[in-house]
Amino acid sequence: MNCFSTIPFKVALVCVTVSILASLFSCSDEATVKTSVIAPEYTGPVVTWILPETWGENPALAGPMAGSFHVKTGEGPQGRIGVMPFRESVSSLEMANMFAREIGYGTLTNETLAPLLEKKTVGTRDFEWIRLEEQRKEETPKTVLLALYRKDSQTWLFPFIGGRDLVDAELENFSLFLESTVLRAGIEPIRALSQPVSPSPAPAPSGPIAPDWSIPSNWTPGQASSMRLASYKVNDGQGNKLDFSVTSFPGDVGGLLANVNRWLGQIGVQPTDDEGLKQFVRPIMIDGLSAQLVEASSADKALYAAILMRDNRSWFFKLSGSKTLAQKEKENFSAFLESVCFHKP
Amino acid sequence: MSSESKPKKGKSSLAKRRALFSWLIPLANLRITLALLSFSMVLIFVATLEQVEIGIRGAQAKYFESLLGIWHYPEQFWGGEFLNPVPIPIPGGWLLGGLLIINLTAAYVTRFQWTVKKFGIQLIHLGIIMLLVGQLVTQAIQEESRMQINKGESSNYIERFHGVELALTDVTDPSRETVVSIPQELLEKGGSISSGDLPFEVTVKSFGPNCDFDAVSSKDQREGSSKEVDQGVGHSANLSIKPKSEDYSSEAMNFGHLVFELSDETGSLGTWLALAHPAGNHWWKESPKLADLAFQPIRHKGKLWGVTLRAKREYLPYSIELLGIANEFYQGTETPFNFESDIMIKMEGNETRRALVYMNTPLRHDGKTFYQFQMNNAADYTVFQVIRNPSWLVPYLACIIVSIGLLWQFGFHLVRFLRKNSLQKA
Repeated sequence: MNCFSTIPFKVALVCVTVSILASLFSCSDEATVKTSVIAPEYTGPVVTWILPETWGENPALAGPMAGSFHVKTGEGPQGRIGVMPFRESVSSLEMANMFAREIGYGTLTNETLAPLLEKKTVGTRDFEWIRLEEQRKEETPKTVLLALYRKDSQTWLFPFIGGRDLVDAELENFSLFLESTVLRAGIEPIRALSQPVSPSPAPAPSGPIAPDWSIPSNWTPGQASSMRLASYKVNDGQGNKLDFSVTSFPGDVGGLLANVNRWLGQIGVQPTDDEGLKQFVRPIMIDGLSAQLVEASSADKALYAAILMRDNRSWFFKLSGSKTLAQKEKENFSAFLESVCFHKP
Repeated sequence: MSSESKPKKGKSSLAKRRALFSWLIPLANLRITLALLSFSMVLIFVATLEQVEIGIRGAQAKYFESLLGIWHYPEQFWGGEFLNPVPIPIPGGWLLGGLLIINLTAAYVTRFQWTVKKFGIQLIHLGIIMLLVGQLVTQAIQEESRMQINKGESSNYIERFHGVELALTDVTDPSRETVVSIPQELLEKGGSISSGDLPFEVTVKSFGPNCDFDAVSSKDQREGSSKEVDQGVGHSANLSIKPKSEDYSSEAMNFGHLVFELSDETGSLGTWLALAHPAGNHWWKESPKLADLAFQPIRHKGKLWGVTLRAKREYLPYSIELLGIANEFYQGTETPFNFESDIMIKMEGNETRRALVYMNTPLRHDGKTFYQFQMNNAADYTVFQVIRNPSWLVPYLACIIVSIGLLWQFGFHLVRFLRKNSLQKA
C-alpha cells in the first residue's frame, strides 16, 4: 500500500515536476534583437541611391526635391544634382522649359527640343536625356543635363547643373548614380525634408485643462480612449448610432483644410480644396472665442464638428455617425457647444 | 490544512521522511501557514486601497510582483496626519507566494502520511501547490497584448499593452519588408546593439519610458541628451525632452523616448531622437512637424530604412480580417450584454477559419486567446485582448486534482461509515 514512499516513485515525481516547470519557463521570451520579414506595410515613397565617392549630399532640400547633391572638388562643392519625383506624367517639353529660360533658350517648342533630346539606357532603365548649354560665349558655359525616367504614371527627374567641364567629367558617375537608384512612389505624397523650424507653438504633451460643459441627457458615456478627453454615444434604439468625442492637440494639427478633409473621408465624402471648404465650414463663437463649425453629410452618414484654437491648442468637438440621428441631435450638439466654458465661474 | 492523525501503516514511512528531512520540519509549521495567509489578506487590502491612487498596474507591480512593498497609511484615515509619513513594509506577492509554496511542500514531505487512506488530503494539497506555482509561472511568462482591426481590414500583428521597441524597417524591396526590432529591455541596458540584419550599429544615448517634450526655438535651448540630436525629426523640429517617471494610472499618457546614434564602418551617421506615442504612432501624423516620428527615413547604401519607437509588436504567422461587428443592449437600457466580432483567420496555404468572438467566448488559436475587449460601432473597429499563457491549463488541472482529492477523502470516510453502520445493524 505504501507504494508512494518508494524510491522510484519519488524520483518519478521529482522528474515530472521539474520537467513541467522547465517546459513552462522555457516558453518565456528572452530580450533579444528580433528580425521579422513581413508583407509591405509602408505606403510612402521609396527613393534611395548610392552616391559616388566624389559626391556629397546637400543637407538643405527645397521644393519637390527628394535628394540634392554636389561634386566634391579641390575648390569646394561644385555643381548641383537632384532627384525630383512627379506623381503624374509630365512632358519632356515642360521639364526642359523649367530650366531652358534660365540659361537663355527662351521657350522651347517640340521642334526646338527634338535635337536636344536623346534616348539612353542606363542599367535596365530607359531615360530621356536632355542637354542644355548656356547660350553665351563662355569658356565653361553652364550646362543643364536632365535625365527623365518614366514608370507607370510617374515621372522622375534627375537634373545635373554645373559647368560644362564638370558635367562632362562626372558623366560616368552620374550614370552610376542613376543606375543605383531605387524609385517607387508611394500612396502618400512625396515631401521634402524641412529645415529646423523657427519658434513655434510647443507641442506640449502634458494634458490640457479641459473646459466645463453640459452633456445632453440622452448621450451616454462611450468608449474611453487615451486620446479622448470625453467620449459619448447616442443610440436611438433603432440601429442608428452616433459617436461624440472631445480631443485636444498642440498646434493647429495640420490646419483646417487637412482636418476637414480627414473627416470628410471618414463619412465617405470626397476631399475638398480651399474654395470648396466654404460649403462645409462657417464661423461660430465658443465661450466668446472665434471657432469653426463643420457640417457635412454623405448618403447615410453625417458629422457636426467644431474646431477651436485656444492658447496654441486645437480643440475638436465632433459628433458623427448615422445621418438620420445626427440631424435629430444637431440641436443638442449646438446646446453642448454653447455650454463649453474654459473659465471657472 | 493538514492532518495530524498517524495510522500505523504510514508511520514508519513518515518517521523516515522526518528523519531525512528534519530541517524541513520547522518550515512546515501550521502557524506559518496561518501567518502567511493573514499577511496575504493584508496585502490584498493595502493593494486595493493603493489601486485608487496608482492604478491597477501600479498596484500590481508595487505589491504583487515584488518581494516587499512600502505602504503609507492614508492621510484621510483616522490619525493619518501622524501615521502617513511612516513607511510601512508590506510583504509582497512573490515573497508570500514563495513562502507558501515552501511551507506547503515542507508539510507535504514531513507531516503527511503517504497512504491510500490519506491520499485525498495529499491530492488536495498537491492541487493547492499547483495553483500557487501556476500563478507564479503565469506572472512570469504570461503576455497580454491588443489587436485592433478596422472593419473590412486585416491585421497580422499584436501590440503589447506595456513596453516599447525600436523598430528599424527596410522598405526598399517592394515585395517584402524586413523589420529589426530592439526590445525595451535592451534599450534600458544601454550600450551598443548590433545585429546581422542591420547594416549599422545602434548606440543608446538615453532611454526612458516617459517624458515631456517641447519644440524650442534653437538647438541651444534643448535639454539633456536631446542636445546631441543632429538628424531626423528631433533635429528638424528642434525637440527638447525632459524625462519623467512612468505613470501607472489608467489614464496615463507615457511618451517613451530614445536618443540613439547610428554608426557603420565609416563612422557615425548621426544621432536621432525617437518618441513613442501612447495611443499609437499613427497619431504623429496629426502634427505635420512631427509626422515623421512614425517613420524617420534613413538612407544607407542604396536602401531606405524607417525607424520608429513604438509599442512592442509581435507579428503573427496568420492574419485576422474583421468581417463585421455588432453590439446588443439590454432592452430599454444602454447596458451592453454582448459585443461580438465576426472574423476570418487567414493562415498559410489559403487556409481559412471563420469565428465569432463575443463576451466570455474567446477565440483560441495557435497558443493565443483572443478576448473581445473594446469596440467602436460608430468608428467601425474592434479591439481584442490577446493573452498568451502556456500555463493556462495549470489552474484547471489543479482544481480537478483538488476535486478528486475531496471526493476521495469524503468517499473514503463515507464507505467506512456505511460499512461500519451495516455491520452494527447485522
